[in-house]
Amino acid sequence: MVSIKKRRSAADDFDVYFRDLRREFEEWGGKLFERPSWNQKASTIEPLRDMIVAPTEVVVTVDLPFTRENTLQVRALDENTIEISAEMKRKMSFRELGITHHVGEFQRFHFQSRIPVPVQMKKMKIRFRKGMLEVHIPRGRARSESRSRAVGQK
Amino acid sequence: MEKGRIPSGAVMLFGFPDVGLVGVIAASHMIEELNLAEVAQVESRLLPPLIVLHEGLPHSAIRVFGNHDVLLAVSETPVPADMVYLVVDALIDWGRQKKVRMMISLSGIPVQERQDLKELKVFAASSSVEVLTAVKAKGIEVLMEGYMVGPQAVMLMRCAQIGLPATALLAQCFLNYPDPEAAAEVLKSLAKVTGIGVDVAKLLEKGEEIRLKARDVMKRTQEEMSKMKKSQEYDIPVYVS
Repeated sequence: MVSIKKRRSAADDFDVYFRDLRREFEEWGGKLFERPSWNQKASTIEPLRDMIVAPTEVVVTVDLPFTRENTLQVRALDENTIEISAEMKRKMSFRELGITHHVGEFQRFHFQSRIPVPVQMKKMKIRFRKGMLEVHIPRGRARSESRSRAVGQK
Repeated sequence: MEKGRIPSGAVMLFGFPDVGLVGVIAASHMIEELNLAEVAQVESRLLPPLIVLHEGLPHSAIRVFGNHDVLLAVSETPVPADMVYLVVDALIDWGRQKKVRMMISLSGIPVQERQDLKELKVFAASSSVEVLTAVKAKGIEVLMEGYMVGPQAVMLMRCAQIGLPATALLAQCFLNYPDPEAAAEVLKSLAKVTGIGVDVAKLLEKGEEIRLKARDVMKRTQEEMSKMKKSQEYDIPVYVS
């Protein structure tokens, strides 16, 4: 049996990188849509959020209505995971949200999320305005990206 | 299925889940403020097997509310991307039978850096030059070029084809987050265009509560917007005259 293995080109590496990136995003979206957006046991509620991977930074935005600003915490759990939590100004019961077949109340937003590209967590900056949180994290450099060459350079 | 007296010659409004849930939030506030009654609901075996329970009783997720002068079609769940034509066409045909004088879609247009905007603009696109001129005369800025995706796009095109006056009012808003402020702006513009005034004070007052309650509908709407390639509304169009 003859097996022919094609040598991986830079373009192949590129494809693999983006396939992984897409899988990460699908994972993000899948989790977001298929689980309940609340945790009855922990009395927490998951906020709506979005992530933009820009060329120089990753921006995570989170909608945090009713948040007590001085309780807002954004933590880097490791090199590519962040955790966001915040107390709400008042307790919100299932009943107030229009649900009568569950019993319980929430007073805290909480979620953890993986950042799908290398980032520099130590340089993270946050901004909170009108109940909207913005987390800016500069992108780090992956090993395969570490060399660059200008056009025309030999 | 009709459930109440349907007025003739009314203005028919559409409030469907879309960017910032602007249309749904605006519609929900209108129903409350104007005390609109349910007059009809959309039923089709082609729609997903989903009902909405209110006080233990079943309702279609897509319903029409109204009074002597207004008919308001609203959906409490996003219309599946492949069902948009079916639902909007059916509502337009029904509205024509009721001799509505104009159709208006209440919706939003996503803008980046939305949280930095102090004043939200409302833009309009219409089914004909005459309608557009009349809307412009009321002080609404025209959305000159661009792409429109979703129920309001289908509504506008279909009305243009059949010669029924129609306008889409689009308030600058968040793409992925419920935006009660944008809903308030679109209602102010609706008042300018039609004279149907709705006090938006309570809507703004309850803004944070609405944002919290609307999270799950917004998430489902994001799914359908993604299927429709809603982000195309950010694109710069190629001008073809």
